[in-house]
Amino acid sequence: MTSYKRVSGDAVEYEVFARKTRVEPLHQVGSVVAPDDDLAVAYARATYDEERWVEMAIVRKDDIIELWQPGET
Amino acid sequence: MSLSDLVLSIADNKQMLGLRYAEWATRAPSLEADIAAAAMGLDDLGHSRVLYGCLEPLGADPRGPERETDSGSLRSLPYFDELWTEWAQFVAANAILDTAFTLMIEACVNGSVEVLQHRLRKMLMEERYHFLHGRSWLKSGVDAAPLNLAWQEALEWFGPPDGETAALHREGRLSIGPSELRSKLEENLETKAPAIRMDWKGWDPVRRRSRPGAIDEATFAMLRGLEEKKFAVAPAKEG
Repeated sequence: MTSYKRVSGDAVEYEVFARKTRVEPLHQVGSVVAPDDDLAVAYARATYDEERWVEMAIVRKDDIIELWQPGET
Repeated sequence: MSLSDLVLSIADNKQMLGLRYAEWATRAPSLEADIAAAAMGLDDLGHSRVLYGCLEPLGADPRGPERETDSGSLRSLPYFDELWTEWAQFVAANAILDTAFTLMIEACVNGSVEVLQHRLRKMLMEERYHFLHGRSWLKSGVDAAPLNLAWQEALEWFGPPDGETAALHREGRLSIGPSELRSKLEENLETKAPAIRMDWKGWDPVRRRSRPGAIDEATFAMLRGLEEKKFAVAPAKEG
């Protein structure tokens, strides 16, 4: 039997962004953990599709460039 | 076999796929996969309802009373007859069978029958996420046995090259026929089907399967609402 290692601990974190109307900005609605972009897309849609978003996007957390963090200003 | 028979086959298979997905909503290898299993299960159960709803407008509803008593009259594939005990079975169904059903739905949407063009289109958008999920897990590597079985049943379900599915394509009611369906399935999954000897002599054109059998009794009872009736509140007596 194959053993599966694609559990959350081995995977990458993605931040999930969405908005309900065109006039509001995208805001973070949560995160998912997945080993690749395709699965992250599927997981984000499955997890956060309860509301009627007009747009949803994900980004790898590692790709976010932080300017400063809490306590650094 | 008519177009209605084909639509009923898609509907029955989607219903069983949805139920089998849902059974893994607390058993998948990660919490994210649990949620995806639940969401895809709901999607496919919803799709089956839409497909059943197309039968009347198509003009010939092939569903008879035997569907209430004979589980062997349902048109789902053998792959769904028993509960899945391994995650690999889930992945093989998700990647290969779900995609096969989607390709047939796409052939309906791009065919000449108006009711199918309109009502089935939204399914294709939802199925994109099923496909991404299945293909990603497929690429991670799963056991060969369920994959081979899923390929076998998907290719059988497309139908023989000179059968009635091919005729529906020639008539324009399906945009593509069995051989193109196979090519597209291989192309989408970025892999070739294993070498499978197709023997159409024992193939049942109504149930679109070669292997006899039927879904397990508990699932059949659930489909007919018998499980829910156990918990139904008895109506209050008048007077």
